[in-house]
Amino acid sequence: MPQAGPVVTYSGHQYLRQRLALSILSGKPARIDKIRSEDKNPGLRDYEVSLLRLLEKVTNGTSIEISVTGTTILLIPGIISGGPVTHDCPLSRSVGYFLEPLIMLAPFSKKPLQLTLRGITTDDNDLSVDLIRTVTLPHLQLFGVSDGLELRIRKRGAPPEGGGEIQFLCPVVKQVKTLNFVEPGKIKRIRGIAHAVRVSPQFSNRMIDSSRSVLNRYIPDIYLYSDVYKGDESGKSPGYALSLLAESTTSAIHCSEAVSQPGGTPEDVALLASRALLSEIRWGGCVDRRHQNLVLLMMVLGSEDVGRCRMAEPTARTIQFLRDVKSFFGTSFKIVSANPSDSSCTELLYSCYGIGYVNVNRTLA
Amino acid sequence: MENQTHKAHRPAQSGSKAGKKGKGKQNQSGFNEKAFAPKSGRRADRQGRRNVERDQTRLHVPLVDRTPDDTPPPVIVAIVGPPGVGKTTLLKSLVRRYSKQTLQEAKGPITVVSGKKRRLTFIESNNDLSSMIDIGKVADLVLLMIDASYGFEMETFEFLNILQSHGFPKVIGVLSHLDLIKNQSTLKDTKKALKKRFWTEIYQGAKLFYLSGVLNGRYPDTEILNLSRFISVMKFRPLVFRNSHPYLLADRIEDLTPRENIRTTKGSCDRIVTLYGYLRGTNLRQSAKVHIPGVGDMEITSITRLGDPCPLPDADSEKRRKLSEKKKLLIHAPMSDVGGVMYDKDSVWIDVPGNFTRGTVDVPQGEGEQMVMNLQDVDATLADGVSRSQIRLLGSSSRNLAIGTPDASQEDESDASQVGSEEEYDADDGEEGSEARESEVEEDFHDANDLDSGDAPTTFRGDRGRESLRKVTRSMKDISRENENVGDLPFADSDSELWGSNDEWENRDKPSPLTLDDEEGKEGDGDVEGEDDDDDNASPAWKRHLSEKATASYMERNRRRRTKDWMSLIYSTSVTPHQIISGNEVDAPDDDFTDLDDFFRLKKTAHSYDDDLDMTKEVLSPDNLQEWEDEEMLESLRSMFITGYPSVPAGEVVEPNDYESEGGDFEDLETGEYQRVPQPEESETARATALVVKKEALKRKFDEQYDDPEDKMDFYNEKKDEINRQLQLNRAEFEGIDAEARALVEGHRPGTYVRIELASVPCEMIENFDPHYPIIVGGLLPAEERFGYLQVRLKRHRWFTRTLKTNDPLIFSLGWRRFQSIPIYSLDDHSIRMRMLKYTPEHMHCYASFYGPVALPNTGFCAFNSLNGDTAAFRVSATGVVLDIDRSTKIVKKLKLTGVPFKIFKNTAFVKDMFNSALEVAKFEGANIRTVSGIRGQVKKALSKPEGAFRATFEDKVLMSDIIFLRAWYSIQPRKFYNPVTSLLLSDKSRWTGMRLTGQVRRDEGIKTPLNNNSHYKAIERPPRRFNPLKVPRKLQASLPYASKPKLMKAQSKKTYMQQRAVVMEPEERKAIALLQQIRALRKDQVARRKEKQNERKATHRRKVAKEDALQGEKEKEKRKEIMRVAGMRSKREAEVEEGRSRKRRKI
Repeated sequence: MPQAGPVVTYSGHQYLRQRLALSILSGKPARIDKIRSEDKNPGLRDYEVSLLRLLEKVTNGTSIEISVTGTTILLIPGIISGGPVTHDCPLSRSVGYFLEPLIMLAPFSKKPLQLTLRGITTDDNDLSVDLIRTVTLPHLQLFGVSDGLELRIRKRGAPPEGGGEIQFLCPVVKQVKTLNFVEPGKIKRIRGIAHAVRVSPQFSNRMIDSSRSVLNRYIPDIYLYSDVYKGDESGKSPGYALSLLAESTTSAIHCSEAVSQPGGTPEDVALLASRALLSEIRWGGCVDRRHQNLVLLMMVLGSEDVGRCRMAEPTARTIQFLRDVKSFFGTSFKIVSANPSDSSCTELLYSCYGIGYVNVNRTLA
Repeated sequence: MENQTHKAHRPAQSGSKAGKKGKGKQNQSGFNEKAFAPKSGRRADRQGRRNVERDQTRLHVPLVDRTPDDTPPPVIVAIVGPPGVGKTTLLKSLVRRYSKQTLQEAKGPITVVSGKKRRLTFIESNNDLSSMIDIGKVADLVLLMIDASYGFEMETFEFLNILQSHGFPKVIGVLSHLDLIKNQSTLKDTKKALKKRFWTEIYQGAKLFYLSGVLNGRYPDTEILNLSRFISVMKFRPLVFRNSHPYLLADRIEDLTPRENIRTTKGSCDRIVTLYGYLRGTNLRQSAKVHIPGVGDMEITSITRLGDPCPLPDADSEKRRKLSEKKKLLIHAPMSDVGGVMYDKDSVWIDVPGNFTRGTVDVPQGEGEQMVMNLQDVDATLADGVSRSQIRLLGSSSRNLAIGTPDASQEDESDASQVGSEEEYDADDGEEGSEARESEVEEDFHDANDLDSGDAPTTFRGDRGRESLRKVTRSMKDISRENENVGDLPFADSDSELWGSNDEWENRDKPSPLTLDDEEGKEGDGDVEGEDDDDDNASPAWKRHLSEKATASYMERNRRRRTKDWMSLIYSTSVTPHQIISGNEVDAPDDDFTDLDDFFRLKKTAHSYDDDLDMTKEVLSPDNLQEWEDEEMLESLRSMFITGYPSVPAGEVVEPNDYESEGGDFEDLETGEYQRVPQPEESETARATALVVKKEALKRKFDEQYDDPEDKMDFYNEKKDEINRQLQLNRAEFEGIDAEARALVEGHRPGTYVRIELASVPCEMIENFDPHYPIIVGGLLPAEERFGYLQVRLKRHRWFTRTLKTNDPLIFSLGWRRFQSIPIYSLDDHSIRMRMLKYTPEHMHCYASFYGPVALPNTGFCAFNSLNGDTAAFRVSATGVVLDIDRSTKIVKKLKLTGVPFKIFKNTAFVKDMFNSALEVAKFEGANIRTVSGIRGQVKKALSKPEGAFRATFEDKVLMSDIIFLRAWYSIQPRKFYNPVTSLLLSDKSRWTGMRLTGQVRRDEGIKTPLNNNSHYKAIERPPRRFNPLKVPRKLQASLPYASKPKLMKAQSKKTYMQQRAVVMEPEERKAIALLQQIRALRKDQVARRKEKQNERKATHRRKVAKEDALQGEKEKEKRKEIMRVAGMRSKREAEVEEGRSRKRRKI
């Protein structure tokens, strides 16, 4: 039977997640070829295959064709069904890798998503579950996805063995709100979570002290929580990390994170995280740089009004994301300097006309 | 004048008036409290509540109206009604009222200016159900015409039902033919009755207009004037569906297919078609897909904004108009015969009457014309003809004459064609004017057949007499269609090509890999540039100058970043993201260095960023973050915190002192240190302004706390305010940008006149084009392009006479689309399962699931069994609303498997005939089974002997005569059938037939319904079952307790005492009884006689009636005979006439 829409074609393994998410949201089939075709180990990696399987679980009617060599995939998206889903993530990536595209999809599913993911909860590459809980979800709340939005960290799992478990609950919305967020405000508070599993509980306190030594000069409202998981909840490997977030008067959030390295000290980790937070704050804008994609996507999906957001310069991921959004939704952003009179201003004002995306999957029956 | 003194009034001091006045004055001070005071508290309470309720009824859900205020699109006024009711007359009258022109033929939409801020597009709907559906979906105002001399007709009700399911526009009823009712009282009654019915259909108080007779082919001017006043003040509430979809009512259609293609394919090739019209609804984007009801889904090739052909009057145009008041008012109706000049994207069309068309064969043609037409008919060029010819130069030549060089032949060809076309033009010129004038659009199509104007539709193709073309004067700049893949990663068909070239230009930018120095490398992959390239090892030296360096690098980066035009970098170049970030963007990968390559090239390490993971976090490098060890660097960030100094004076900033006093708990050494930092000296003015700001903030706070809470906006007003604010923002955001970029970002706005080019339109749409049928271009949301199973809530229309059956095809009108699909009806069975229904229930909603294009949940629809106009019955068969969209359905139907026991033990039985194999039994192990008498049991295990038999246990012993059944649920899917109603492609547009029902097919093909012998209904003969009496052995009986003993005994055979005894009566008693007996006997006799008499009377009456009936029957028979005789004569006459005609024809 007729399947609507021309196939959107890409090559290369990069930016796979955002393309898959966009394809499912827009309903346009996507074909991605030349996935590591020049590599010694060509084709999809295990975590990418696992992501595809997860997407198959949360949708209904999705067909994913992977070529024999694994260098080409064709995704014909179905509808996002949601509901209770459990998935074991491979140990090559943390759950953040899988959670990020699903956060984009979850508000538009048929039933509220109750996703349980098992695996590594914090690692170097992807957003840790702490940051997703404290930073990503508030970003989603800007768009009216709030009631029942929750991330529960049941168990923590540090690399390489993992053993963590999280539960992500997301409500269903009819349409996301239009964003108009141009006032970055001033930073009024700093929060943080220092967690340690299977190491001395003192490690988290050491991280907190060290981080305070950098940040205390700015603001007194600093709470850094020490979060030590023990026993069964602490996963299979030792590890510790510090995630920090700075919230402004207009509730713009900037965040940073550093994860323990073998042989490193907690103080190093804390310093790294604190300084990364400072450089993140220097970038300015209303949205953290790691969450530019999420915010821009939700702006595109908003009602047919102008959404505006002030952000730092786009990252490479964001640039590609903007291009992908254009090929899937046909929407381009207007990007101008946030303060045209001030030549030193690096912040940009992103504005776009929402496509009026309505959650067609939502059921009335 | 003002200071003129009047004589002062002197009130009477005495007399009767003196007392009166004073009293009156006293009374008038204020109102009379008694008059307005509530009599009782309860009543006052009720009154208050009623007022509040009435207030609430005024409120409606605030809806966003996305049509722009400055130039809204024309209001679509549809004139709908049964044939012959006076629609065209009304249309002509209204058009004359607005444009002072009388239309000869009103076809297609007609746009006129009706006021300063309003334009109207009139469209007349014909009687075809498809066009009524389409018009109902776009009309803003419906003038529903009703023949008052006849009353409401079926079409009217059908149309109202269509409107109800697709969003109800404003409806004004118009009663016509009132002059046919002569009697005044009848007229009054008719009006009243019609009004009552109309009000119940629409709403109480709906506007109903009365039009009396026709004068000069128009309705009376005063009545039309009144109607036009009502139209001009009409307010419109946005409808949800139209407020979320862009759409357009095409008022003009052009075929741009290259003439050569049409000629070679004999007109059967797909066409390139442009449609023109005012955009409505929401913004139409370049990449949107559209649906044309009656044709199908189309991809837009390009959208071009054109100059408004019927602009609203502005100050400038008004000034001009005064000079030529008599000039005709603006009217835009390309499908009708008005509006001589039309502007296109790159040409102007001037309509000059008189034309020549090919198709008209009945008009005698001159020799020249014949020649030209013969020339046009030539398929092959002269050269081809010659090459095919058998000419030999000499009779003895062995070879035919051959054509020389190819270029020579080409020249010949072009010459020949030139000559041909010139001749053709001459012929046309000579003939023009003699031809009957046809509608413009038709001309175009004929034109298309006549003349090949080459590939480009814009080439000069005038000279036809009726239309000429000149260079653009007023056309808008072409907003070129954005290239979809411009912003994408460049993809080539083969890997090597593309990446090769990319590498090259990447490579050109950098020095060769061997000489690559550190700096370049860092710029390539680090996102925070390392400004300290040469000394990697941390030393006090770099620490000293760190802040200067950092700031310098920061400024440097700023400078470079500032020059970036992000939009063009991202969207209109193919530079990779990393290159954009690192700043070494090369604008275009020129191909000039592809030619200086040698044959073998080193395969580059192609994807420089290939190996990196798809990471969200950036790699933290301690080296880069080392800059934060510097004190100045740290201080530079202080302004970002609320504790820092305000970089710009802002009202909200809390001063550090205040903050400290509030958050004293968190005070520690670091903040203390901060306090010691000397404040920058503030000028007096700054302090003063700060004070003012502070005061204002305090005042606001005070106001918020103590002001009247009634001033605060309620929820309703707040929402409305929010919507308005967003609309203002929408307007302001793209104010300064030019139209081209604006269209790119937000699409074309409603109210603009656009030209939409569509490729690969079926040729039938053009060939069978009829301006009486509306062409609507409906924009589709991304979700609506997909297909899936729709679950809808559906109710059969109570006026539709038949029930609807599962798996019978039904025509749905849903969204923009009209299509046929096969629904399965179902009902929710105790929230456990969706159970299939064979037929729709009476007076109740049910669910229906069918395959089709997705529509948003909550979209209304209506359904039809057939769209043909030849049925007198009501055609809307069902209405409903979309509930759910999915890729699978969960409908089940009941399946009963039956078996019989063949061996019975106590509570166990062996059952056969239910399954065919042991495998099937294995699937159903543990399933619940039941006998007809209600004994429940379970499937246990398959038996080896008879295949498919199994052992089952029951709660009681079953009988051999019992039937055992297993109730199961079988899931079914609706058939994947989707058949769009392509009525616009037919020559007879009302004759669309889709898939027929099975019964219809059988009727048409003359096939009998297959009858299963077992399905016959016949009387069931059940021999009465005899049950043996229950015998309890005497011994057992004796030992039973009394309650358990059988109580049933034989009937008493002995006579009782009362029956046995003899009665001897006293003489008086005997006498009395005898008397009573006699009286009773007399009475009996009397009754019998009376009855006999009555029967006699009845018999005579019956005889009489029978006689009368017979007489009546005779008369009726006579009458029938007479009728049949007349009919027979008529048919005979007709047959004769027919015969005569045919005979005549034969003679000829």
